[in-house]
This record gives sequence, structure tokens and C-alpha cells, in this order.
Amino acid sequence: MDIQRGNIIVMDRRRGKLRAGQGLLQGLKVVWDHWIGSFRKNENFSQIHGTFTIEYPDERMKLPQAYRNMPVLIYDDETGHELCTACYQCARACPPEVIHITQAKDPNTGKMVPASLEFIIEYDACMSCGLCAEACPFDAIKMDHFFELATDDRMGLLQRKADLNRPISYYTTIAPDLWDEVKEGAMKKLQGSIKRRPGVIGIAGHLSDKIAARRRELEAEAAAAPPAPADAAPAAPAGKLSPEEKAAKLAAMRAAKAGGAAPAAEAPAPAPELSPADAKAAKLAAIKAANAAKKAAEASAAEAPAAPVDEKAAKLAAIRAANAAKAAAAEAPAAPVDEKAAKLAAIRAANAAKAAAAEAPAAPVDEKAAKLAAIRAANAAKKKSE
Amino acid sequence: MLKTEELQINIGPQHPSTHGVFRMIVTVDGETITDLKPVFGYLHRNHEQIAEVNTYLQNMPYTDRLDYFNSMANNHAYALAVEKLVGIEVPERAEYLRVLMVELTRILNHAGALGFLINDMGAWQTQLAFGMREREKILDLFESASGARLMCNYFRFGGVARDLPPDFMPRLKDLLIAMPAFVDEMERLLRENEILLQRSENIGILPKEVAISYSVTGPMLRASGVPYDIRKAEPYSIYDRFDFDVPIGAVGDVYDRILVRIEEMRQSKRIIEQIIQQLPDAQGGHINPKARQNVRPPAGDVYARVETPKGELGFYLVSDGSLKPYRYKVRAPSFINLTPLGDMCRGYKVADVVVILGSIDIVMGEVDR
Ligand code: SF4
Ligand code: SF4
Repeated sequence: MDIQRGNIIVMDRRRGKLRAGQGLLQGLKVVWDHWIGSFRKNENFSQIHGTFTIEYPDERMKLPQAYRNMPVLIYDDETGHELCTACYQCARACPPEVIHITQAKDPNTGKMVPASLEFIIEYDACMSCGLCAEACPFDAIKMDHFFELATDDRMGLLQRKADLNRPISYYTTIAPDLWDEVKEGAMKKLQGSIKRRPGVIGIAGHLSDKIAARRRELEAEAAAAPPAPADAAPAAPAGKLSPEEKAAKLAAMRAAKAGGAAPAAEAPAPAPELSPADAKAAKLAAIKAANAAKKAAEASAAEAPAAPVDEKAAKLAAIRAANAAKAAAAEAPAAPVDEKAAKLAAIRAANAAKAAAAEAPAAPVDEKAAKLAAIRAANAAKKKSE
Repeated sequence: MLKTEELQINIGPQHPSTHGVFRMIVTVDGETITDLKPVFGYLHRNHEQIAEVNTYLQNMPYTDRLDYFNSMANNHAYALAVEKLVGIEVPERAEYLRVLMVELTRILNHAGALGFLINDMGAWQTQLAFGMREREKILDLFESASGARLMCNYFRFGGVARDLPPDFMPRLKDLLIAMPAFVDEMERLLRENEILLQRSENIGILPKEVAISYSVTGPMLRASGVPYDIRKAEPYSIYDRFDFDVPIGAVGDVYDRILVRIEEMRQSKRIIEQIIQQLPDAQGGHINPKARQNVRPPAGDVYARVETPKGELGFYLVSDGSLKPYRYKVRAPSFINLTPLGDMCRGYKVADVVVILGSIDIVMGEVDR
């Protein structure tokens, strides 16, 4: 039988003509050579003798740049902005489906913002395949080199955004060349997403002083800026009303007065974002939502006479909305101990208010006028926030 | 004549020399084996069904976990199957990188397999330690190219994940200097060793016809004297560009399997040398830029196979035109090579079972899937 470009060779079973025992001695010589060699160090790949032990953990091997262990999220050192835009590509690419993302919302408009609110990776089930890092179009998720993850706490391996964030300066220490390849595009994309992120959204929540300072600055700015139903009560300290809360209340009132039922519905929107720890704040938000809803309903009812035909329907809607809001509000304080219940009540109140708002504008025949008023109110709010 | 009684004993599933969780129901008459039934399935992890709920690319890291010694070769077979199904071109350079990785895999697999075989014979860790050291060097190379030592996940549809890092080639050339020295040394240690000869010569003979009827492949089949190597019989990738020989055995015993594997390491080194020569002229990048990773193949089916260090690894994929394979079947060499174990062991002693099993070179991750 013939084969292309090569021969078939039958292995020769007895090559050497050795006397009994010589084969053993020959083998022992090999072992002996290795023993002698073990007194010096093996320098490179071309040598087969010598020790090549690395005394871990005192000594460590230099890991190649491409080495991948677990995925981390990276953020910009300068601005503190995370590169991730919550596009879900990584979550879709992940074979064991261990990436869970929640996208951030603009509290102003309720629209999605290119940033993640929460980003969870189950490290315990991650198979370190690196497909997430390859799929990410924003170079926001990268494979870390840190491998000493052993723990007796399995839930500790559920890594949240705060645990996953690493600065670019860290990534450049482990993989400078890989970062250089993508740097330009990544930073350009980051600038684009920063423009679409209001307030502190998308800024890494901790770490360097510089970023903390920048965060405070932005927060202060937001607080100083009047109305903007925007920063309404983001996790307010229990008890006292924070400036933001006050502003939110004001905005809600004003919006309600202006007749725009729509902004009223938005004011309580941030309620669900409350940190669960702040039960009191949640209660507050719930009450506020109820109030806002009431006001909105009243306002639309007040406007209704402009269109006397549908007066009754408008009134009815207003009353219904008010009732719903009241019920929600009544429920909220009933469970002040239970954080979850408080949050739920807040969400429910917000929903009720929203529903009321949705219902209210349907009533007046004079739709145009109502719409106009709403737009005007929104504009006014915007102007003030600017 | 003394009348003896047959006895049935279990070897495994938890046994240090069964190379994983593998059980053999052995019927012995004194020390002699009269029957042996392999029982597998202890490491079953639903690989094929999982693959059917994954997208095509998501299966790539899972193929690493079939035969975890040779993740590169597994990747190659799977990538070939999907490329055939979708019709993706692979640039020349990518082909060279692929073959380079797969041949390095062959060396490291045989270095490890022979080490474990000698370990099974009772020489403990001597040859294993020497083999593992060479294997570590190759794994270092894999790590620098793919990012991982074992679960490389390096192949993509239309190429490989990334090009070689700058320090890869110098280190590979160093390694090629060490390789003949290592193989020669291994031969000196093993080839004429009287103990090894006694444990392996004329033990576990698998005749040609039996091997073929069991569809055994790889070094096992070649040791039985059949010059069948898919790289020659049905050249895939760019294997038709390299000169290399196919070693075969004369008897088909454990000793022949050792010799064939040693020679295959030499041949793989020859291929790698030719790759180093031809690589600089290769056209294209490490991956076809037009190849989409999130493939949606047309409805149809495909079978692609490669010669992994253990034998013929084939992937049979059925596509219904969606993002996920409708059916995904693995033809695993370890599994099929293991089936004639009973025939090979009959008539030999209990102590030979472990040696014969070691000479098949199985990885339970691939046997059970
Ligand atoms: S490395 Fe792989 S398994 Fe881990 S999170 Fe990324 S895609 Fe998922
Ligand atoms: S890490 Fe990347 S791929 Fe994942 S959601 Fe963020 S931007 Fe998208």
C-alpha cells in the first residue's frame, strides 16, 4: 500500500542487540542524568534537563497577556465612566448563561440609558471561555488574570457590578498590547455613550478618590439644579428630606398644577429604584406618588370644564385615580417594617398613579389643550433643569 | 487437575488506574481473565443535548471538555464540521496555525499517554514526570496563544481566535530543539527495558481484523498493522502539503502501541518543522474577516472528521436552518477504541488489564460525554 508524501514504516521491535539487563541500565542512566541535571536551573524550552520548578506562591509565573480567567468590567480612570452600555451581547454569547444585566433608566424620561444598572456574573458557573469578551463591541468586559478565587462561600462568587469593576489602568498592567489594539475605538465609543448618560449613571460606584469626588460634584450639580423631576429621591437618607427630594416634590406639584398629567406620573417613577434598605424613604416616595397622582387628577379635573361635554367622565377618572392612589398610599404605611412590602407598595402606588395619569388625559375632549399644557410643562421643567 | 471456580470482580469505577470513573466487570479464573465487560456512563454530562440548546459558537468551548487532553484537536473537528455546513473559507495562515496547534497537541498527548501507561505498569512517576515536563512547555505555548492551557477554545469558524503572540515562534523553535532529545531519551528509557518488555510484549494483542470490525482508529489501529490515518486517507485542512510517515505495528500488542506513539511524535515534529518553513509565505490573516461567528447554516447535515491523537473524531451536525444545531453527535475515538477491551484482555492476567487499558489511551470525558 502506498500513501501520498510519506511512507508506511513498520516499527522495528528489536533494534539494539543488548544483553540481558543492559536495557535496564540504559534506562537508569537516563534517570541518573536527570538527577545530575536537577542541580541547575532549566533556562529555556530547548533544554530537557534542569529544574524548572517555580516556587509558587513565593514566585509567580509571568502570565501571557492573552491569559483568561474570569471576566471583569472595566471603567475609565479619568471620568469614572464604565465602558459597558448594557447592550446584552455578552449575555447572549455566554454559553452557560451566567451573565445577568439590568439596563439603567433615565429617571427624567424613563428612557433606557446606555449604561448598566446592575451587572451580575456567576463566577461559580463561568467556564472562562472568553466568548463574552470577544462578543463585546465596546471592549467593556475583559478577561482578568486573577486566579486565586478559592473560597468557602459559594454565594460570594456571585459577582456584582461593584465587585467586577476594574479601572483601565489595571487592565493595561495585565494586557498592555491587547488594550492598545482596541483602545482608540473603545474610547471613542465611550465618549459617545457618556453623552447619553445623565447624572451619575454609568459611573463606577466606588474606588478612586478622584471618581468619588467627581460623583459628588455631579450629585451636587443635580441637587442645585432646580425642579427637574429627575433626581427625585434616589435613596434618600431616612427621616429628613434631601434637597433632591424637595426638588422632586416641587416639580411634581408644579407639573401637576400645570395640568400635565404626564409628568406627574413620572415623578414617582424613580421609586422602584430605592435601595431596599430605606424602608422609610420608600414610604415617603409612596406617599409622594399618591399625592402627585391626586394633584394630577385634580388638575385634569380642573381643566375638564374647558370641555364641558365630557365633564363627568373626566371627573370620574380623576376620582378613580385619586382613590387608587389613596389605596396605594394607605397600603404603604401599613408595612413599614417589611422593606420588601414597602418597596412593593411604592411600586404599586407609582403604577396606580401612572394608570390614573393615563386615564385622565383621555377624558377631556379638549385633548389638544391638555397636550399643549403637558408639553409646556415639560418644556418649563427642562428649561429649569438646564 | 485442580478444579477452580470462576469469580466475578469489579475494577472501578473508583480506581486510580481506570483513568477516570470507569468500571470493568471482570470474571477471573484464578489470575486469568475469562471475561471482561466494560461499563461506562459514570461521567455522562449530557454533552450532546446541551449542544442542541446552544448556538453553534457556544459549543466550541464545550468541545474542549470532550477530550480535555486535546482540546485543540476537538476544536478543529468541530470547526471543520460547521465550516463545511455553512461554507466558510479559511485563510491559509489560519490553516497553518490550526495544523500547528493540532500537531503540538499530538505530541503532548502521546507524551502524557505514554507516561500514564508506564505509570500503570508500576514505574510510578518517572517517565510521567519527564513527559509532563515537555507537555507543560507545549501548554505554555497554548496559553500564550489561546489564553488557556487545557480549555483552549482557540478555533473559530473561519480561522482561529487570535494570531500568535510575538514570543511564540522563538519558544516554539526552542521546543523543537528539545523535542528529539526528549523522544530519544524516552526511547532509551523504555524501548529495551526488560521489565517493560515483559509487561508489554505480546500482551493485549488486537488482531487486524478484530480492530477493523470494531472500527478502532488512531494509534491503536495502526499498531495492529493497518496503515490508516485520516490525514493521509482523506487529507483535510492542509495535510496534503506535508511530508510525513505513517508508523504501523507488526503484532498489535501493547509494545507496538508504545512504539507507534513514539514514532508519531517524531512525525508530528516533522510536520511542525515544515509549518515553520511555510508559514511566513502563507496568505491571509488568522481568521477570515467575512466569517460571521453567529452562524445560521442552511438546513442540511454534515459529517466532518479529523485524526486526533486518539483516533477519528467526527462531528455529525444536522441543521434545521436555525441558530442552534438540531442534532449534534460526536463520534468519539476513546469510546470506540475502548469497546474491544474485553476481547483484548481475555486470556491475560488481572495485572495486564490495567496495562492494556492504559495502552488504549482513553479520556473518560470523551468516552461518556
Ligand atoms: S467567560 Fe464565558 S462563561 Fe464566563 S461569563 Fe464570559 S462568556 Fe460566560
Ligand atoms: S459588557 Fe459589553 S457586551 Fe456586555 S452588555 Fe456591556 S457593552 Fe454589551
